[in-house]
Amino acid sequence: MKKKLLIANRGEIAIRIIRSAHKLGITSVVLLSDKEPDALYLKYANEVIHAYDANDDKAIFLNAAKIVELAVANQIDLVHPGYGFLSENPDFAALCEQNGLNFIGPSPELIRNMGIKTIAKKMAIETGLPLVPGSDGAVVDAEVAKKFADSIGYPVILKASAGGGGRGMRIVEKAESMERLFKSAYDEAVNAFGNGDIFIEKYLQNPKHLEFQILGDKHGNVIHLGERECSLQRKHQKVVEEAPSASITTEMRNTMGEMAVKFAKAIGYFSVGTIEYIMDEDGSFYFMEMNTRIQVEHPVTEMVTGVDLIDWQIKVALGEELTLKQEDIKINGWAIECRINTEDPQNRFSPQIGFIEKIHFPRGKGIRIETGVQNGSVVTPYFDSMIAKIIVSADNREEVISKTLKALDEFNLVGLKSTAPFCRLVLQDPEFVSARYTTRWVDQNYTPEMLENDNEEMIGALAATIIYAKEHLQIASNSTVYDDDSLNVWVLNKRIN
Amino acid sequence: MGTSYVYRRDASRLFIALRENGKRYKIYVPTDSKPVIDNEEQEINFIDHIDSQYYFNFNGKQYNCELVSRDQNKILIKVNGVEYKFSMESIFSYIRHGMIDKDIKQINANNIASPMPGKIVDIFLTEGDLVNEGEPILSLEAMKMQNEITASCNGVIQKIHVVSGQSVMKDELLVEVNAIDV
Repeated sequence: MKKKLLIANRGEIAIRIIRSAHKLGITSVVLLSDKEPDALYLKYANEVIHAYDANDDKAIFLNAAKIVELAVANQIDLVHPGYGFLSENPDFAALCEQNGLNFIGPSPELIRNMGIKTIAKKMAIETGLPLVPGSDGAVVDAEVAKKFADSIGYPVILKASAGGGGRGMRIVEKAESMERLFKSAYDEAVNAFGNGDIFIEKYLQNPKHLEFQILGDKHGNVIHLGERECSLQRKHQKVVEEAPSASITTEMRNTMGEMAVKFAKAIGYFSVGTIEYIMDEDGSFYFMEMNTRIQVEHPVTEMVTGVDLIDWQIKVALGEELTLKQEDIKINGWAIECRINTEDPQNRFSPQIGFIEKIHFPRGKGIRIETGVQNGSVVTPYFDSMIAKIIVSADNREEVISKTLKALDEFNLVGLKSTAPFCRLVLQDPEFVSARYTTRWVDQNYTPEMLENDNEEMIGALAATIIYAKEHLQIASNSTVYDDDSLNVWVLNKRIN
Repeated sequence: MGTSYVYRRDASRLFIALRENGKRYKIYVPTDSKPVIDNEEQEINFIDHIDSQYYFNFNGKQYNCELVSRDQNKILIKVNGVEYKFSMESIFSYIRHGMIDKDIKQINANNIASPMPGKIVDIFLTEGDLVNEGEPILSLEAMKMQNEITASCNGVIQKIHVVSGQSVMKDELLVEVNAIDV
C-alpha cells in the first residue's frame, strides 16, 4: 500500500512537497480552502480534500483540530506542515502523534523548547554556542545597567522582558544617556505590559544574518549543509538569500557548522532545521534561534549541495537512516534566491491583491522556479504575499549575480506589482555586490526612487504617448488614417524585420 | 538640434509627456520610422502589443510596459515592474497652455513677416505642419529674385495668412509659427 502524505499548507511549498512525495512513491493529498478554491497546488496533488472552511473562523491551514480530523478520516499516514501556519506549533505536532499520524518534523518537545527563547538560549549555552553578551535576567536600575554596559561596551540595547513589537526597547549609544533611556524604557514597559523588567544586551549596529542548514535522522546522525546568508531583510522579512555566504571563511564555516551540529545532537534533534546566527562586523557570531521547519530559502542550499532537503525530511520521518556523511557535503558554486511577493516596493511594500493577468518566468540552465500561481490566478488577502521564488545558480558569486539580474529582466508580471524590481535593485547595489550588506540595508539605503531608471522612464513615456495618441488622433481627425494599423506601421515594420 | 521632421511633418503626432517630478518628454509618434524623443530618433523597436501591454526592445534589453490606469490625460504606466505617471498633452494644447504667460515679443519674433514687398511664389508647408529652424516655409519673389523665407525656430505652422500668387507688403504677416522647444 502506498503511503499517503497530507500537506497542511498551500502555495509553492505545497507543490514543492508534492514533487518530493511523488519521487518517493508516496500519494500526495492537499487541502482545498474555500478562501482559495482555484489554487494551483490543487492541480498537482493526487488527492484533494475539500476543507469547507468558508464559515470557520480561521483558514484550514491554521485549524489544527480540523486538519487532524480530516487526516484521520482520509487514512493519512504522514503530515507535512510546510513553513508558516502550524509548522512550528508543538500542539499540532503532538495532536498528529496522538492520532497516529507521522508529523514530518522534529518532536513536539523540540519544537516547544526551541520556540521558547529562554529555553533555547539556555540549551545553547550548555553546548557552548555563543550568545549576544547580555545581562542574565533583569537589571534593577540604570546604575547597574550602566556598570553592565561598561563591561560589554556601547552601544547596548535595553529590552523589556515582557516586550515585543519594539515597545520597551531603547538603544543606548553612550553612558550619559543611560539614565534617561532606562527610565523611558521602564515606564513604557510598565504601561504596555504591566511589567518593568528590563534586560540589557550588546547592540550590533550592522549585523549580518547567517543560518546553517541542519539535517538529522532518528538514529542520532546529524550533519550540516553549510550556511545561507539572509541579511537582506525588510522588517525582519527576508527578500534575497544566498548560499554560501561571502562573509565567512572556510574555517569559520566549519566552526559555525560544527557548533550547530553539536547543538542539534545535544538536544537530540532530527528532521531538517536551521540554526540562526547573528554576526557582527568584526566577524564574531552569536546564536539567535533554531527554526524547526523547512525554510522558504531552502532551495539555495539544495542548489549548492545537490541534496534534496524535502526528500530527506520525509525519509527521516519514515525512520530512514541518513546515508549522507558530513564529508559528503560539498559546496559547489553559488546560488541566489529572490522572493517575488505581490507587494508594492514603490509604496511601502503594501500588499497587492487581485488577478495575475499574466506571469512569465525566466527559464534556463541553473534557473529554478518555485511558484504557486499561474496566469489567471487570484492573489487573495487571506494568505501570504509570496507568489514565487526565483532561484539561480552559477559557478561563482559574480556570475550568479549577473545571471539572476538577467533572470529578473526576463520575469514579467502583468496585473499586479511585485518585489521583482526591488530584488533587481538589491543585486545591483554596491553593498550587495561587495557582500558588505547587512540587515540594516533597507533602513539605511533604500528609497523607492532608486527603483526608477532613465531608459525605463523614457520608454514609459513612449508607451503612454502611444496609448494617448491612439485615442487622441482618432477623436481629433475622425479619419481612418489614424486607425490602429497605420499608427503602428512602425510596429509592423519591426515585426517583419 | 539636428531634428529632421522632413518625413513626418504632421504636428498632430507630436506629444508632450510630463512626469510628476517635472521631467518632460517630447515624443513624435512615427508612422514609418523610429520614434523621435526630445528631437532624437531613438533606436527603440516595438516588439508586441497585447491588450494593455506594450513590449519594446532598446539597446538589446526588453521593456515590458503595462497600462495600469488612465484618468483623462493622466496615464499610469508600469515599465519592468516600476510605475511611472505621465500627464499627456498634444503639442497644440501644450502650446495653448504654455502661451498664457509667455512673452508676447517672443511670440511675434517666431512669426514670419515679409522682409520686402513682393509676390508669394510657392508655399511649401500647410497649417499644422512641423517645421525645423532654418527650413524654408515659402518662396517670395521680389526684384525678379526668388527668396526662400525660413523658420526661425523649431515649431508648428499655426496659421498661413497668404496664398500662392498673392502680393504682399513689407512687414506683412505671412505665417504664424509656434515654437515647440519651450
